Amino acid sequence: MTSTVLKRLGVALATIFGASIFTFVLLRKVPGDPARAIAGDTATEETIAALRKSMGLDDNLFVQYGNYMGSLLRGDFGFSYSTGNSVGTLLGQRLPATLELGLLSVIIAIVAAVLAASFAVYSRRRWPDQAVRFASSLAMGSPPFWIALLALMVFSIQLGIFPGPEGRLSPGMLKPPNVTGMFTVDSLLAGRWGTFANAAWHLLLPATIVALGPFAFLSRLYRNQLRGTLRETFVAVSQSHGLRRFPVYNRHVAPHGLLSLLPAASLLFADLLAGSLLVEKVFGWPGIGSMTADAIIQKDFAVVQAVLLLAAVLYVVVSLLADILMTAADPRTRVGAR
Amino acid sequence: MQSNAPSLPVPRLTVDGGPDPERNDPVLSVRGLRTDFETAVGTVHAVRDVSFDLRKGQRLAIVGESGSGKSAMAMSLMGLVPPPGRVVGGSVRLNGKEIVGLDDAGISKVRGKDIGLVFQDPMAALDPLKTIGSQFVETIRVHQDVSVKAARKMAADLLGEVGVNDAARRLSDYPHQYSGGMRQRVLIAMAIANDPSVVVADEPTTALDVTTQAQVLDLLAKICDERGNALVMITHNLGIVEELCDSVNVMYAGRFVECTSTGALFASPGHPYSKALLDCVIDPATARRGALPAIPGSPPDLSVDEPGCPFAPRCPIGRDQERCAVERPQPRTLSNGAVVRCHFAYDPQGETA
Repeated sequence: MTSTVLKRLGVALATIFGASIFTFVLLRKVPGDPARAIAGDTATEETIAALRKSMGLDDNLFVQYGNYMGSLLRGDFGFSYSTGNSVGTLLGQRLPATLELGLLSVIIAIVAAVLAASFAVYSRRRWPDQAVRFASSLAMGSPPFWIALLALMVFSIQLGIFPGPEGRLSPGMLKPPNVTGMFTVDSLLAGRWGTFANAAWHLLLPATIVALGPFAFLSRLYRNQLRGTLRETFVAVSQSHGLRRFPVYNRHVAPHGLLSLLPAASLLFADLLAGSLLVEKVFGWPGIGSMTADAIIQKDFAVVQAVLLLAAVLYVVVSLLADILMTAADPRTRVGAR
Repeated sequence: MQSNAPSLPVPRLTVDGGPDPERNDPVLSVRGLRTDFETAVGTVHAVRDVSFDLRKGQRLAIVGESGSGKSAMAMSLMGLVPPPGRVVGGSVRLNGKEIVGLDDAGISKVRGKDIGLVFQDPMAALDPLKTIGSQFVETIRVHQDVSVKAARKMAADLLGEVGVNDAARRLSDYPHQYSGGMRQRVLIAMAIANDPSVVVADEPTTALDVTTQAQVLDLLAKICDERGNALVMITHNLGIVEELCDSVNVMYAGRFVECTSTGALFASPGHPYSKALLDCVIDPATARRGALPAIPGSPPDLSVDEPGCPFAPRCPIGRDQERCAVERPQPRTLSNGAVVRCHFAYDPQGETA
């Protein structure tokens, strides 16, 4: 057991190391000079040269990478030229916003997928299954930023039941005291109900839209898993013992579906933590996604690099956690054969 | 069982389908059962007009090749035909209750309580995520109003009865911690937990290795003897039939082609198909090297129901007979009491009757 965990940890570290090299080299080999972009169109060649030197862009790649890793290990993620902040500070501000959005999206996606797929499979009629499959095709096929724009037009501008793209709180609303950085949680902790309602109201529409893709994926996965499990012999056996339809479904079918959902859902979660670039941009959501979108346009190496590395770390950590959870949840891996 | 005198009750496939008044009432009475599977390429008629009676303590074998409709018939008795299959006609009476056409609530009261089923593959028949104990307790509490604690006690006793050592502790184990033979013992114990009058065993040892097969079969026989359950043994193994069962229904293409006592079948098979099946049994004492005996051809496509005898194309007699190709044989009784569907059955009193 210990050796397996150590092996997995070794693989995890190697993955992160590989990702760091990949992003580092990739960003330095794309065309365009970041020093020129930062200095602006009117800058003289001397200014640009000086800037290149101060950014360390004249050193060879190995030296640059060595410097980068060295400062990374000291907790220094570099400096964002385009915003004038350290990347560490930026992440600290932006991460909770994305975390809040991602968490709610994953919860919405899982709950909706489980409910929809269960209904589709449990129903004796055909239309619920067809409806869920149609809905998931639609959700999978539509680009989220387009849905985001559409939703803003309908629910915010036309109907006025959701706020416009104004970020996490209405203008003039005070932020709750910072504990987790997630406004809904912090406002509840502080007992500020008005702030909580406002934050939740701002969160709901983008979270639902971000949840569409994961919902489509998870509902299909769950539906197929349920249908597969229904054909298992042990389901017929429990029926043959006199169990009625619902208890059979509830005790012997659904748990298998939920177990299969665990690894998929955790990877989707890791995905969402890295930020939903365009949806955040459309809603003016001050998270990792919109920050990354800006940084890419500005050729702000340090920021993009940090976000990509963060995504790699999240993937690795979450899939490791999912593995451990799966092992704990499935008796076949938890309890050895005799 | 070498004598051909049918000392034990023989299931009657009476032409009029009525129960035999001379005996006690059957616990299971099947009349004109038909089960279809709607597939993309057409309707498969897996069970076609099956009728038989089963009495308390009786042990009936249903034999036939793969694809003869044995399993579909077993599932029909439980109301458990998997979609796209369904029972399309006939009647199944358990202890006098009609079960064809019952809804989920109605059939659930019958399953496990009036009729129990032992499945073919014990490795796949237990939920891998639940302990043996929780599955067993669930099975007991479906039909009996007892506490979890009492049910656990009953489960441990039953497990002990079927030969699981240290049963109380092993209730907390998961299925993967049991071997195949042990799982089948557990499943037998679960199937009889609510004391059903009829136990249907659908090839219960096919998935087990040879050494455990005999143990499991002995166990089934012992349990049914002690508790007085009637047993329907679905198998293609004639050795099992000879050892375990007192009567046999030979199934071909969804119909019973011969219903007889075990003794009579082994002494003088009436239907050419029964004879062909017996000829395929290899006796290690006399077997010679070379090709194994086999019935030429393959079972017919069950989506078509042509007139005539479905076995005719493979039959040593019917192959050349005009009558077998056009006229479907109706059940008739031979001199030894066997009921056969064949125009040219072998009668012990003469060559072919």
